Amino acid sequence: MAMFTKDEIFQAVSTVVDPEVGFNLVEMGLIYDASSDDEGNVKVTMTLSTRACPLHQMILQWVKEAIEKLPNVKEIDIEVVWEPAWNISMADDNVKKALGA
Amino acid sequence: MFKISQDFAPPFKLIAPFFILGSLFYLFSSLYIFSFSADNFSFADPKVIAFTHLFLLGFVMMIIFGAMAQLVPVVLEVGHFGVELFYAIWPLLLIGTLLMVFGFLYSSALLPYGGVVVLTSMMIFVGEIFLTIAKVKKLTLVMSSVLISNTFLFFGIIFGLLMALSYAGTISVDISSLLKAHIFAVLGGYISITIMGLSIVLIPMFTLSHSFSLRPLEISISLMSVTVVLAILASFFHLEWLSIISYILATVAMLVYAYLIYIIYKIRPRKENDIYAISLMFSYSSLLVSIIVALLYFMLGKENYLLASMWLLFFGFFGFLITGHIYKIIPFLVWFERFSPLVGKQKIPMLVDMIPQKSSQAQFIFCAIGVIIVAIAILFNSNALIGAGASFLVMGAVAFIRSVLYMINFKN
Repeated sequence: MAMFTKDEIFQAVSTVVDPEVGFNLVEMGLIYDASSDDEGNVKVTMTLSTRACPLHQMILQWVKEAIEKLPNVKEIDIEVVWEPAWNISMADDNVKKALGA
Repeated sequence: MFKISQDFAPPFKLIAPFFILGSLFYLFSSLYIFSFSADNFSFADPKVIAFTHLFLLGFVMMIIFGAMAQLVPVVLEVGHFGVELFYAIWPLLLIGTLLMVFGFLYSSALLPYGGVVVLTSMMIFVGEIFLTIAKVKKLTLVMSSVLISNTFLFFGIIFGLLMALSYAGTISVDISSLLKAHIFAVLGGYISITIMGLSIVLIPMFTLSHSFSLRPLEISISLMSVTVVLAILASFFHLEWLSIISYILATVAMLVYAYLIYIIYKIRPRKENDIYAISLMFSYSSLLVSIIVALLYFMLGKENYLLASMWLLFFGFFGFLITGHIYKIIPFLVWFERFSPLVGKQKIPMLVDMIPQKSSQAQFIFCAIGVIIVAIAILFNSNALIGAGASFLVMGAVAFIRSVLYMINFKN
């Protein structure tokens, strides 16, 4: 039995905002997957909008800190993947509309 | 806990002097235009040579070097070899630029000193970049562009120093041969290839453009590299036909690059026309008009067409590309240093909140009008229009400095 559902983890990560575009990472579609086990260990699979993101390390830190706010969380494993590469079609409709995409 | 590395964002106090001095030199260059007379405008005029160095060394190089302190780790995906070396680069570049400008204007005896100081500054820069590149395990196309452009810079400044020594009478070399080699190595080899490589990282990053082929970039960088080598050989061996081939190749290289930028612009999901977007639109439009005016020069043979083309390349293309990126780079660096530690603890500004809307718009409008008026003044030999254009540029430059200081001093 997982301690946290995918939605609960996504909810926690949705507090992290990309300061350049002004949207949170979940609505940007940058968080690909999230899961936890029954002991409270969390795994997040995510990407960034560009490989050359200068905030790379900092964004990972913010995601970790956001998940740490969940009760009784233990280890947090964040995996950054580049496949599939992010594109705007992965973002929520409100993001696309705001950007004019 | 993750360890937050400062490698990708050097301390702002290290980079701030480059941007402050660069924007001041932008103002000085704008003021300098008042001293031009349309009647005797010529590439051989020491006033024009002094202006070229004031603008290229004081503004373009100063800002590029400062920006590279932050962008090189982003592009190369490794930390700097010795980012502290940048503390030595800006004072040397400042002193060297002033010595060279005053040398061209008042006393050629100053030129070797200025040349050596600029050379020292650039050697430190190039050496630091090469040693940083040495840490990279596998070079991508963009990383290769940094390596290629800095190699050309190395040779470009050697040619420049030899010319400075010759101007001062210290040595005797064929200045006309070295001049073309110097211009092509620095303008085509360093500035253009640096712009090609970095813009393909930065523009998609800010516009969120994806899924475009890098083949045009490969072609444009390869063509420009061949162009520079051919132009240098043509200069040394006085081969006019080879010069013409290099001009054609340079034009094709820039057109292929402009085509790639157009594709990135066309597919961009982020459609807002903020100060960054409109600055880039003006910049690339200036590049295209500059190429057209250069082609007219080759057809008509009038020097003022070539001068107008260079003007549009310098103040139009380079100028607006740099000022546009300043509105992205400074807010990021200030935000990273001042506000990122507060994320999750209190409400903090977004990067867009740190850009002064009125002064950035004023800078864009005044400078754009100024660039267009001065280009027309050069084409039609009009002193009155040069003064008018310079007035607009000075007002724009003041607004630019105000924007830079506002962003640097931004507090929530």
